[in-house]
Order: sequence, then structure tokens, then C-alpha cells
Amino acid sequence: MEKKEIESRIKKVVAHVLKLDEEEITQDANFIFDLGADSMQSMLLIAAFEEEFDIEMDVEKAQEVQTIGGAVDFIAEYL
Amino acid sequence: MNHRGELHRKNLHTVFYPRSVAVIGTNKVRGSVPGDIFVNILQSGFQGIIYPVSPREKSIGGLKAYKYVIDIPDEVDLGVIVFPSSVCKLALEQCGQKGIKSVIIISAGFREVGEKGLAKEKELLEIAEQYGISFIGPNCLGVINTDPISRLNASFARKYPAEGNIAFLSQSGALCTAVLDYARAKNIGFSKFVSFGNKADISEIELLYYLMDDPKTKVILLYLEEISDGPGLMRAARDVIMKSHKPVLILKSGRTEEGASAAASHTGSLAGKDEICDAAFKQAGIIRCEDIEEMFNIAIAFVYQPYPEWKRVAIVTNAGGPGVLTTDAVVKEGLELARFSEKTTLSLKKSLPTTANIKNPVDVIGDARADRYVAAISAVFKDENVAGVFVILTPQSMTDIDSIAKEIARVADQFDKPVYTSFMGEADVASGIKILERNNIPHYILPESMCKPFHTVYNFNRFIHNEEPEVFVSGHPPNLVAKELLEKAIEENRKYLNEYDASLVLEAYRLPVVEKRMATSAGEAGKLAAEMGFPVVLKVISDDVFHKFDVGGVVLNISSETEAEESFRTITESVKEKMPGAKIRGVQVSKQIQNGVEVILGIKKDPSFGSVIMFGFGGIFVEIFRDVSFRVAPVGKSTALQMIREIKSSELLSGVRGTQLRDVDAIAEAIVKLSFLAIDCPQIKELDINPLIVLEEGRGCYVADAKIILEN
Repeated sequence: MEKKEIESRIKKVVAHVLKLDEEEITQDANFIFDLGADSMQSMLLIAAFEEEFDIEMDVEKAQEVQTIGGAVDFIAEYL
Repeated sequence: MNHRGELHRKNLHTVFYPRSVAVIGTNKVRGSVPGDIFVNILQSGFQGIIYPVSPREKSIGGLKAYKYVIDIPDEVDLGVIVFPSSVCKLALEQCGQKGIKSVIIISAGFREVGEKGLAKEKELLEIAEQYGISFIGPNCLGVINTDPISRLNASFARKYPAEGNIAFLSQSGALCTAVLDYARAKNIGFSKFVSFGNKADISEIELLYYLMDDPKTKVILLYLEEISDGPGLMRAARDVIMKSHKPVLILKSGRTEEGASAAASHTGSLAGKDEICDAAFKQAGIIRCEDIEEMFNIAIAFVYQPYPEWKRVAIVTNAGGPGVLTTDAVVKEGLELARFSEKTTLSLKKSLPTTANIKNPVDVIGDARADRYVAAISAVFKDENVAGVFVILTPQSMTDIDSIAKEIARVADQFDKPVYTSFMGEADVASGIKILERNNIPHYILPESMCKPFHTVYNFNRFIHNEEPEVFVSGHPPNLVAKELLEKAIEENRKYLNEYDASLVLEAYRLPVVEKRMATSAGEAGKLAAEMGFPVVLKVISDDVFHKFDVGGVVLNISSETEAEESFRTITESVKEKMPGAKIRGVQVSKQIQNGVEVILGIKKDPSFGSVIMFGFGGIFVEIFRDVSFRVAPVGKSTALQMIREIKSSELLSGVRGTQLRDVDAIAEAIVKLSFLAIDCPQIKELDINPLIVLEEGRGCYVADAKIILEN
């Protein structure tokens, strides 16, 4: 899968979970600092990414991912 | 104080007195740390402007929220970061860009969670250094300033404390909330309340210096779990105590420890971390407390009442038993019961019933009402033999508790002497205790508990008025001979210096070492012994032998040339047999000093305080009774004399029961010289001079044996 497509699908998931407009979500946006995700939302995002891409991620490592761009690279490794 | 220290002192003012605060990473969730901190600042009546900074919210608590701190159009004095640890550096970076110089980082998840957390903490420090920021935390409860011109509660404590004159600093956040609750119940107020957490940037040292100049603070309480800069803490505390006359009380956890017994030298095994901590605090004038209760018991005595000028107290009680118990405690504490003047006795006689006891302790009898208490307290207060008054009350059916409490406060206000109280019981006396507390009369649940605070305040008063700055006269620049011997041994991977080399190091610092020479043959040993004069001692010298006695490497009381030759052979054969691999450099022939008293001196390097000097008596005094004293180097002569005087067996040097007066002055000089050796030679991990033989007054002392264990 192309990284551009991964990014687009990630942004959709993030917008849905965090209840944001997709336009607000940039590639270098930090989940916590820029998008305001709290710890519960971070866990929800991990679950939502797994469902979206039909993958099972290492949760501990997934929690270390901080930005949209980082999530793209991280998820790409599972695809 | 270094550059960062200076910066912190400047920036700390805006930690406590900001004109505006940004709470960075806050939210609307009550019961969460980010949410509650914002609400606490809002509800404490903060006198400045508050800016919520939240990536998601448009407004919080009716105030416009900003996505980033850099979006705030106005100047911001203080940033309070409540984001998770993973993004604190982004928040701190933006604080730097915004020009904020004072920051509190509440967030946890740093060094307390391990290596990764420590790395994050280092990143914060780098950013702080880049932008000239000073920060408190991370991993802390926050900061409270009750001064009405600020009224800042940048913490997630449940309650805002009352205004007072006690500053409380704590490394533990959880303890802070417990202390706030405890103090609230006892009507104790605070000037400043700081939880400094991991002290990654601002530590207790800078906070002490800040509080030294804080007019709202009269007493400083400090809870510490770890001392990272012992000498810095000692300097800061001493500066505060001597310059501002504010007492510094420290509760230091971790009194017990494992491992001291594994040390290689006597000094190493005796100088546990806690003993060193005790010595260092004493040296700096710090009052060390056993627990929170004792800390506040002492603090209220300092902050609410005048300091006693001397040690004699009067006890006024309506119950004989508690009066006697308190008398016992007074004597045990080292205080004295005042002997009343004739005028006082007459006055008490006139105003009290004939059944009352008019001697100290004054028993106003169980049916006493407020008038009798007033008469007795006034009379003893006026007595010039009385330095302070302990008032005890037990609740009888006719005891007008509240009136007595009010009258104690009224009378105490007329005298410049301290009064402490103990209304014994709980439910019946509760309202009276509240009256006392509201009137700043220290109250103690048990009457015996009045003694230690009284004595502590008395000692502190003496300390600040009598303590003279220590004069350090080394007279010797760092000595090259000693340095070369130590460095050579380290290059050769030796773990310790043998006695011969250790003596050379000590001689280089002009410590008096007994005359000694090295013999490499039996004939030479005999000849050297004869030249020296008998009796002599022979000892094996080998870099491989640490415990000479264990391998038969020592012969004492040698009284002839032939005996010296034989001893040489005995020693070398014994060592060869018991330690076949040991390389023998020779046998040391030294003069045996007679009619001396044996004491021990030592050095131990402590990770928190640096080199520490030990003094004690030799033999069983050190082995069994652990009767030793410590001080952090350098040690001046007056401190050295204190070290000698404070051990229990020091009288053995002062000519008691027919013994001779010993040369205490020479011991003190040896301690001073040893302390300079400790400062100059960081290669020394531990050192024992055991024994130092002390002769009669004016005849000096001599190092008879020494060991140096090297740092590696």
C-alpha cells in the first residue's frame, strides 16, 4: 500500500476518534500536543488503526509513536 | 553558586509571584491532574491573569483557551506544564519561544521510571539551558504561595492552606498532600509550599536561598529522599541560618542502610550514610527531625513563640501525675526546672490554696479554674529564673477549659518568654486546643513532647549567636609526594597503600608518624632497632598483605637487637607460609610509643557529602560501642575540638580518676591536617589511622599504624 493512502486513511481514523476536521490534521501533527489526544483516546486510536488496516500492532511500541507521519511509517511496517 | 543557580534565584520570584500563568495541557476534566490544577489556580483567588492552553478546548472555566502557549498575545510569567511526559519538551520549547523564564513541570514519567525517563529529563534541561528557563519538577505536586498579593495554588492538592510563616519544601508530592491535611487540622499555615519532585533543575538549594530573603517565611521545613549535592546543601542551609536566622528543619528518609559493614576499613564500616548525614547537618546548623510530627512540633515552637534565653522551665499543672512525668522528661532532655525566687514563691502562696504545690512544678490542683492558672502563670513568667513555661491541663468537671485557653493566650502575650501547652485528652479539650492554636500558642498532645521543641529552639538560639565562622588554615599546598605515591599505586592497579607508603603520605601532610625504617635482612633489622632504641615494633611491608596480624606479620615489644633479628625471620617465614604468593618488600622497624592512649582517625568518601573525617577511641570503644564522631572536610580546629569533646568517652582524655590529661590539642591538629589531606587527595576512598597514640598534654600524638584504601 502506498504511504499516501496509509496517511489518508490514518487521518480519517484520527478525525473520527478525536472528533476533528480532517483539514486540521497535518502530517507532522503530534497526537497529544497538537491534536489533544488523552491516554484513553490514544488507546482507542491504536485499536481503530488495527481495525482499519486489519493488523495487530505491538501496543507498547505503538504508544511511542507521536505524530501522524510516525504512524504512517509504523503501520507501513505491518502491511 | 553557579550560573544556573544565580538564574534560578532570579526566576524563582516569578514562580511564586507571577503576574500571569499559562496552564499548558489543561482540560475540562475535573478529577484529572491537568483539569484540577487549572481549577485550583482559578479558585485560590490568584491575583494575576490565567491562560488555559489546551489543544482541543476553545474555553475553560469561562476563559478563552489557546491551542499553543505561543498563541497567547500577552506576556506570560509562569508556565505550568501538565501534558504527558512524552510532549513536555515540546511544551517547554514553546515556553522558551514565548519568553517564559519560570516553569513548573507537574508531569510524571521521567527519571523515576528508568533510563528512558532520565533521557527525557535531560532533554528538558537542554531546552531550559538554551532559553534561560528555570523549572521546578518534573514529577511534582506543584507550588503554593499563600501571600495575599499572589494567592497562587499551582498544585493538585485538595485544599488551599492557611497563610502562615512556615515554608515547606518536599521531594515527595504525596507527602505534601498528607502534610497539608495534617497542618489544616492543627491550624498551621504556610508561607510557601513547594513539591519539587525530581529536582532536575531547581533543587532544594536554590529554594533555600530564595526563602532566605522571603519576608513571609520564618521557618523552613524540608523533606528529602536523596541528597545529590551535600556540600551545596550544607552551604545553603548555613547561609540561611547564619544570615537570616531562619531555622532549617530537615526530615531525611532512608535512615537504615545495608552494606556499610562490607567496607574495608573501620572508618568505612562506622561511617554509614545516615551517620554522615547527621554529622553534616549538625555542622551546618540544620535541625534533623525524626518524623513529620516532631518536625511540626518544633516548627510551631519556632514560629509562634519567643526563643528561650536559657534552659530553665516552669511547669504549671492541675494534675500531679502529668507534672511529674513532664519533670522527668525535662531532666531527660537536658533542660532544668527553674528554682523560683522568694518573690515568686510568696506570690504563688498568696494566690493559690494551701493544698497547692507552690514549688516547681506548680500544681494549681484539680479544681482550678482560669483565675488560678492566670495567677500561677503570671507569677512564674515574672520570675527571672524562668526562661519559659509549660502549662498542663487535664479536664475535670469544674475545669473551664476554653476560658483557661483564652487566659493563657492573653497572659502569654504580655511576656517575651515562650509558653507551650498540653491539654491532655481529646474530645473534652478539643475546643480549648483550637483556641490555643488560633492564638499561636503551641499545643502538644503529650506534655513530654514540649521538651524537645523547647530545647531545640534554645540550642538554635545559642548556635546563631555563638557560632563563629570556621577558620581553615592548611598551610600546605597540595603535596606532590602524597599525590605521586597515590597515583603510582592506582597506575599499578593496587587497591590500597601498605603501611609504609601510607605513612609517607601522612608525613607529607605533616601528621606526626612514629620513627620508622625499612629493613631487608635480619641483620639490618637488628641494627636499625638498636639505633632507634628499644622497645621497637616489626611489621611486614607488602603490597599483597592488608591484614598484617592475620598472617603473623607483626611483632610488638621487641627489646633487644637479637630479638629484632629473630622477629624479622619469624615474620618473613610466617607470611611466606600463610600467603605464599605475597611479595615482601621488607620489614618495617618502628619505635614503640609507650604510655599513650589509643584513638582512631579516619577518612571516608561519601557520594553525597564528599570526604568525611572520623574520630573515636581505639579498641572496644570503636569496635563495640561505635563511640565516634564525624564531620565533613575541611575541618577547622574548633570543629576538630568539638569532634573530640562530643564522643561519650572523651573524658578519658581529660585526666579523670587519676588518669593523665592527654594532648587534645595535638589530636585536633592531626584532625585538621587529615581533613586537608582528604580534600587534596580524591584518590583516597577510605583511610584509617589506627591507632593514633596520644601522650600527656604538651607531648603530642603519633600515628602508629595507617591504611589507605584507594578509589578505583
